[in-house]
Amino acid sequence: MERTYEPQPDITQPRKAAKRKKPKLSLFGYSQIGKIDLPFFVLVIALLTVGLIMMFSASFVSALYNTPDNDSLYYIKRQLLFAVAGVFFMIIISKIDYKIIRKYTLPLFIGTVALLVVVRLLPPVDGVYRWIPLGAFTLQPSELAKFTLIAVLAHLIALHPERMNDKKYILLLGGIIGLFVLLLMLEKHLSGTVLMLAIGLGMLYMGGMLNNKKWAFPVIVGGGAAVLAILIFIIYKNPSINGHAYERIYYWIHSEADPLGKRWQTNNSLYAIGSGGLLGSGLGQSMQKYLYVSEPQNDFVFAIVCEELGFVGAALIILTFCLLIGRGVKIAKTSKSFYGSLLTMGIVFQVGVQVVLNIAVVTDSMPNTGISLPFFSYGGTSLMMLLMEMGVVLSVSRTARLEK
Amino acid sequence: MQKAIKKESLKRMRILMLIIFFVFGLLGARLMWIQLVRGNYYKEKALQNQLSDTVIEAQRGTIYDSNMNVLVQSATVWKIFVDPISISDSGENAAEEISENVAKILKLDAKEVLKKCKNTKSRYEIIADDVEYDEKQKVLAYLSENEYTSCVGVETSTKRYYSSSSFAAAVLGFVGSDGQGIEGLEAFYDNTLTGTAGRLVTAKNAQSGSMPNNYESVIDSTDGSSLVLTIDDVLQYSLEKNLEQAKADASAKNAYGVVMDVNTGAILAMSNKPDYDSDKPWTIKDKKLAKKIKSIKNEKKRAQAESEALIAQWRNRTISDTYEPGSVFKIITAAACLEEGVVKPDDTYYDSGAIKVEDRVYKCHYRQGHGTETFTQGLENSCNPWFIHAGQKLGVHSFYKYFEAFGFTEKTGIDLPGEAVPSAGVTYHVEDEMGRVELASESFGQSFQVSPIQMITAVSAVANGGKLMQPFVVKQVLDPEGNVVSTTEPKIKRQVISESTADELCLMLESVVKHGTGKNAYVAGYRVAGKTGTSEKLGTLASSEGKKYVTSFIAFAPANDPKVAVLIAVDEPKGSNVGGGTNAAPAVALVIEEAMKHFNVQPQYTEDEMAGLEISTPDVTGKSVGEAKSVIENASLKCIVVGDGKKVVGQSPAADRNIPGGGTVVVYTQKNYKAKTVKVPDFSKLSVSEVNQLAAECGLNIRFSGNNLESSSVTAARQSIDKGTSVEKGTVVTVYFISSSGVSDTNTGD
Repeated sequence: MERTYEPQPDITQPRKAAKRKKPKLSLFGYSQIGKIDLPFFVLVIALLTVGLIMMFSASFVSALYNTPDNDSLYYIKRQLLFAVAGVFFMIIISKIDYKIIRKYTLPLFIGTVALLVVVRLLPPVDGVYRWIPLGAFTLQPSELAKFTLIAVLAHLIALHPERMNDKKYILLLGGIIGLFVLLLMLEKHLSGTVLMLAIGLGMLYMGGMLNNKKWAFPVIVGGGAAVLAILIFIIYKNPSINGHAYERIYYWIHSEADPLGKRWQTNNSLYAIGSGGLLGSGLGQSMQKYLYVSEPQNDFVFAIVCEELGFVGAALIILTFCLLIGRGVKIAKTSKSFYGSLLTMGIVFQVGVQVVLNIAVVTDSMPNTGISLPFFSYGGTSLMMLLMEMGVVLSVSRTARLEK
Repeated sequence: MQKAIKKESLKRMRILMLIIFFVFGLLGARLMWIQLVRGNYYKEKALQNQLSDTVIEAQRGTIYDSNMNVLVQSATVWKIFVDPISISDSGENAAEEISENVAKILKLDAKEVLKKCKNTKSRYEIIADDVEYDEKQKVLAYLSENEYTSCVGVETSTKRYYSSSSFAAAVLGFVGSDGQGIEGLEAFYDNTLTGTAGRLVTAKNAQSGSMPNNYESVIDSTDGSSLVLTIDDVLQYSLEKNLEQAKADASAKNAYGVVMDVNTGAILAMSNKPDYDSDKPWTIKDKKLAKKIKSIKNEKKRAQAESEALIAQWRNRTISDTYEPGSVFKIITAAACLEEGVVKPDDTYYDSGAIKVEDRVYKCHYRQGHGTETFTQGLENSCNPWFIHAGQKLGVHSFYKYFEAFGFTEKTGIDLPGEAVPSAGVTYHVEDEMGRVELASESFGQSFQVSPIQMITAVSAVANGGKLMQPFVVKQVLDPEGNVVSTTEPKIKRQVISESTADELCLMLESVVKHGTGKNAYVAGYRVAGKTGTSEKLGTLASSEGKKYVTSFIAFAPANDPKVAVLIAVDEPKGSNVGGGTNAAPAVALVIEEAMKHFNVQPQYTEDEMAGLEISTPDVTGKSVGEAKSVIENASLKCIVVGDGKKVVGQSPAADRNIPGGGTVVVYTQKNYKAKTVKVPDFSKLSVSEVNQLAAECGLNIRFSGNNLESSSVTAARQSIDKGTSVEKGTVVTVYFISSSGVSDTNTGD
């Protein structure tokens, strides 16, 4: 599979570009080493296409009823705009040497922290501090924070991989992770907090933390899980700690309670998934999107996917995510630089965790945290950031020795 | 070192990937569980949400009387409900505004409505039931004018309308608030009347709004079938009127009655007084009783008294109550004796005023004794010793055989709910436990209980030539389009006695009315047969108010060709002269007369009656029209006025001519009048009643001539004026009758 694309011209180039001579491509003073990884690119485009179609299918009813002008195209129009821009940036970034990012690690870190502080200082929207208004659109700093955390950790780990057993160094890394986690907690961004924690721990683990100890793996994973479990238990027993989180845990455990209120979204998500059966009701045929599944364009888009495409469709999409992650890991493993590996792995891991958490929430396998599904859920900043991250992975893939 | 670290790091990346894949696998399994294993469960849940399932109510069937007058019908009415959540979304003063205006249109208490409008926990609060079309339209118009259509909704339902509130209540019964039959025919034929509700299934979104794509599935409702009753409104009205009168005259507790077509068993009328209004069954109709119950202070006792009063007023006593029939039952004893041949109508017996059976002495109600009487006279006098004597001659076995045969040990099977169930050993003695003493009491109708419907069915068997019929109320069932679905065929249960015995007994019973205790039921011109009955109510002997009685009278007419039987019972009459002949017979006579007229049974006067009825025409010439009319009508004649003048200038027949009672006098009011003429029709071969009818149609007066005119076996042979001759209206034509050997002679086996 990897060999098939080799003799072909670089299809990521616009036709105009294809006619030009290769040297002209070093537009950013970066001398080209190799071509981007086509399978990864194809998988990204495939997921993006299916994601856009399904987001549109899931959202048009809700858009019709709930948007100011009763415009059923409201969400898809915006999402398409971001998708086009995102793909554009992805291609640009794929052509830049990713190592440039490393040079700007500190400004990126400071800028992100500053944005996270600013968003906390702005008046809350719907009780949470998440968005910075920018004209017609809004910026969600937490989306940027995910990448920043990956970039900072990748940089520091690659800088001193030998110090990954050094307690002080680990403490520094842990402190950075803790800062992000704390800022997102202040934002009242539950899913963001969880995600930061997961990314942080994942990066430490992959960075080779405690690599001289055999029990490093069980300690980190088991410890993380145990901390999470204890945290859930403590919150469940002491609602005053975090009322918001308590509520979500409570209604996850008490699945029969308040079917018209707190359990409405989850119950209807289950009805939608269950209605899908093996083959689904067909594209566009969901009944549950008729205001039953609230905000089906966002976190619960996968419920509508399951209803319309059935188990077969849902499984195929999960499989595509597997392929994407698998390909990403391959890129990471064959990258020439350790930094590139860690960056790629961090991004791929982030996507994997988000998919896992989203599907787990939609299927009522864990409390409702409100996490988006990559490529599918509505959200401009999120999609842009995701595609740009994909651009970074593609950039790394240029330097990777994929062909053995 | 660095390389080793990187190698370890790459290994860990792979482990992490595998962990993610593993979790993906778990989620895939979870999806499989939800979608493939539990799929149907969730799908059903989803459908329950998504589909709005509205019941389309089926219209309940109509009930007609035998003349196709509507007695009961259902009409569509509307329920009006408010949606407090929508109201609260519609502005601050929406609740006040809506409740005030809607309450005004529907004539409701605005405060009550407002309270419901403000119950924001609900989306559905009914504010009015049974709203009729016009008012509903007004509400809808108000809502659309003020853009409140989402706040208030209407739903169709049905309401039962009764042509007249208490008319035939005992037969019709009533329905509950959910439209389900509770009493009477409404209950007995509930399934037939109800029909099948339909369903309208539409897709809706989570906010109960309609969907952009119209999914709609309709299962049509099937309206209920309609019933055509055997109840005749004319007779029902007459029965009810006369029951009220009889009850009032005797200050009685209850009065109830049945009119039956003796040949088919069809119930022509049935009523209890007091009764209730079918449209207000939960209101106690007896105002005195209602007041009395209201004054009870103890709440529990009041509620109990109220429910007892309601149950009592709903009770169809003609089929649910049992009573000792008393002397009315002598008809059955007589039928058995005649059929078995142990007694003949002319057999004599000496009544000394008492008779001893074993160790018991039975006294005659006529203490001195009736002396020597024939069996017919014994029946006329309602002489207990004669019937005890006859019963003893008959014996227990034969008596019980007829008791059973006449249907007193079984339900009649009438198509009404709540028929009393005869219970061996409780309401009647079985053969084994009957001795001579029991037989003696039973011979004159005491020591056992029957229901009125059983009694009239048994007597109808005597009237119709010995056939025990199954009484019925519903003649036909019609589908919603009015097509006949089924017709009730008269059902003969069995031949109880022979036709000749029956005919013989009919004549005996006629003589009871003519000469005996049933005199009060005599209706001139109609041959009425009947029997009185008076019995003590059991268990009331110790009452301080003295003895309580059920008095009854049962009659049928015409005696030679019975058509209609009437039973009227008066429960607990008061007064000095209590008895069936006093309390019930006059009412029966009035109902019988109404029935005879209604069925166009021409009066058949006996020679004696006719002679007495021949009336001399008054002289009205020169009188004013009004005066002439009243003079003629006072003389029991009919008057036909011809012309527009104010004074009578001529009359036909002329003054002082003898014409039959009920005949016609034509008066002319214009000078130089031309007398109205008519062609004399051909009366030959016609019966007395047919001649009467034809003559009435032509405006001719008929003088009857011949013997045995009361017999149905006479036909016209000659007439005094030839057919086709033009004569003045009012002319008297004499018609000569002779006996003919008709079909009925052979049938009766004379």
